[in-house]
Amino acid sequence: MGVDLGSTTAKAAVVDESGALVGSSVVQMGAVSREAVARAMDGALAAAGVSQADIRRTISTGYGRKLVPGTDRTFTEITCHARGAAALHPGVRLVIDIGGQDSKAIIVDDDGLVERFAMNDRCASGTGRFFDVLARALEVDVSAVGELALAGSETLEVSSMCATFAETEVISLLAQGRERADIAASVHKAVAARTLGLVAQVGKATPTVMTGGVAKNPAARLHVSRALGHPVEILDQPQIAGAYGAGLLARDDYAGGSGSPAPSDAATEEQVQVSLSAGTPHCQDCDGSPGHPHPGTGEPVPLELQRNIR
Amino acid sequence: MPIEQTSKEKARRLSSTRVGGKMVADYWENIFTAKERGKHVVWYNGAALNPLFQAAGLEWCHGEAFAARLAAQHLEGPAQAAGAEYGYIGELCSYARTHLGCAVLTHQSAAERETGVVGMVDQQELASKLPAPDFFVNGYAGCSTGQQWDAMTYRVFDRKLPLFNVSIPMLWGNKPDAGYMRGEEWDEVGKYVEEQLRELIAFLEHQTGRPFDWDALSESMSYIKRASELRLEGMALCTQAPTPATYWDWVASIAPINFLPGNQGLVDYFAGVKAELEQRVAEGVSAVADERYRVYFDGIMNWNKLGFLTRKFAEYDVAVVAGRYTHESFWQEPQLIDVDNPLRGMAQHYLLCPLNHGLKNLQELLLRRLDEYSIDGIAFHSTRTCRAMTNPQTMLARAAESERGVKSFFFEGDVADASFYNDELFDSRLEAMLEAIDVQRMKSVG
Repeated sequence: MGVDLGSTTAKAAVVDESGALVGSSVVQMGAVSREAVARAMDGALAAAGVSQADIRRTISTGYGRKLVPGTDRTFTEITCHARGAAALHPGVRLVIDIGGQDSKAIIVDDDGLVERFAMNDRCASGTGRFFDVLARALEVDVSAVGELALAGSETLEVSSMCATFAETEVISLLAQGRERADIAASVHKAVAARTLGLVAQVGKATPTVMTGGVAKNPAARLHVSRALGHPVEILDQPQIAGAYGAGLLARDDYAGGSGSPAPSDAATEEQVQVSLSAGTPHCQDCDGSPGHPHPGTGEPVPLELQRNIR
Repeated sequence: MPIEQTSKEKARRLSSTRVGGKMVADYWENIFTAKERGKHVVWYNGAALNPLFQAAGLEWCHGEAFAARLAAQHLEGPAQAAGAEYGYIGELCSYARTHLGCAVLTHQSAAERETGVVGMVDQQELASKLPAPDFFVNGYAGCSTGQQWDAMTYRVFDRKLPLFNVSIPMLWGNKPDAGYMRGEEWDEVGKYVEEQLRELIAFLEHQTGRPFDWDALSESMSYIKRASELRLEGMALCTQAPTPATYWDWVASIAPINFLPGNQGLVDYFAGVKAELEQRVAEGVSAVADERYRVYFDGIMNWNKLGFLTRKFAEYDVAVVAGRYTHESFWQEPQLIDVDNPLRGMAQHYLLCPLNHGLKNLQELLLRRLDEYSIDGIAFHSTRTCRAMTNPQTMLARAAESERGVKSFFFEGDVADASFYNDELFDSRLEAMLEAIDVQRMKSVG
């Protein structure tokens, strides 16, 4: 199981031994809500038709990753989103995750692993929070801002530097009698501009996908595509990419390890020292000999990651 | 070996640096009474001009060093509040903002003394204890704020005090033969700054009314040169893994090398640091209990977070072994100093400020350190109020990755204003970089 406990939603995904996504759930509640994560985990189990006892390994991610009950290990969202996006869209090179409070641009290598990444600075502009602010100001549900924006033009200037300043601008534009659709479109363009700045730090690459809740917003995808100058591919379930990636890492961890968490003992220390001095091949099917071909399916390479559990 | 170690045990700071801490504390306590002792006091920032002041018989006050000291002791609040009240915005270099606040408080205290308000001075904060200046010397390479900073303190003191500017050009590195400490540009600007220093000396003679003591300059520079050599010898011991000291230990040694008087005490201090490192190497004592990652720190130090970051990185088994701020500054090329004729070598060091290089030279310096210290990753401290330091960081990150495959992460913070730092964002990004390094290691087959 992979669990992504974020600033606005809790997501859980159940993965079978082949790496297939067999159940998932998204619950929206307060920030890093324990109740939300419990419901998300229960929902994913129910969707998969399994019970908690059937879960062999759990990896958590997101801001609340250390709060997830029963987690065996944690990984950052960067690693998990890259992994999940690569599984949902094999061959992806650029992953743009716009979450509730942060946004990330991740360059993914041929194996679906993180090559480099950039995250937004401490301002919430360019994140899902920006759309919450917009929805509140325009008095629409946040799930409807995208459709509203698609109906508008983008000729209004809206700050892309600060979500709070942007709210002030939106209110000012409303007071001027501007069309709500135009305002919504202009805000989306501002978010895309911030996203472009983030992508510039890691470099553009194709195929590009968006993950996170904002990826479901058609106007956000459209404006980001325009800003990038190339299409943004659509994922079936972008919001669970992080949880799915965490689930895949859990599958890899279970398949590659002894089945139990590695303690900080002398044997592990020795193993880590070996890994520091020379890389150890950990492809599932690798016999360690030079020239052994990787599976040429484009699927991410299963890994055993050796960082100690925190 | 215990299964779990506390973060305090994981970070093993050098004990010898406490001697330097005492030396610095004594220095500041002494300078606070400079005016009572009838001394001439010069205020300056940036370049380590103190050997010239020492030879001129002055007492010197390095403003940003004092700002750093306040921040390290979490006593920067009153100074920053005074600076803000005076009109300096929060986006101004927080070194400058803090020191300008000190200037305001010092000026205010002096005025209150003149009015005979008994007891007020005793109630003032540490931030107000700097002795009032007799004049200013501005010598700040690579930083636009630094150029203006002393002009601002000049105005705080009602524009009544003399101000001398030492012009230190930027090392653009754009001539065909340019590189670190080589090329036509390097020769030209070295001569130029040396002439600037000669004019400064004439100014000091005029201000003090006595001839400049060239012998004293040679003497102090001989001590500084030796101290620097010992410091570099100690740093060289940290190229091995595990490292016996971290960047945080070298940060703790900045104050002594930056502005303490050039004398035997300074040499003894760095001899002590080196001796402790040698002992650690001999006994197999590492600075971080379980060094698994070696990281380079690019950015000015977050002085409010010195102890915090020391423990934080150690928690992740990360040894921060070197950094631009400590390793590309502070008399770092002692071979340039001819103690009998030190001005040219001093001028060259003032040019070698870590902010004063064009991108080409910065890349050269970075790649050199990545190789020298076997660096796995880079922590870029995106110092919020220091554009000079942060401007090239993204390009440096790209160069590190493209030339050496070294990963990096960015975190925001600031030199003396802790409000710019966010702990969760730091944790997430550091962890993500370490995960990427883990993957990189596993993919590289011996």
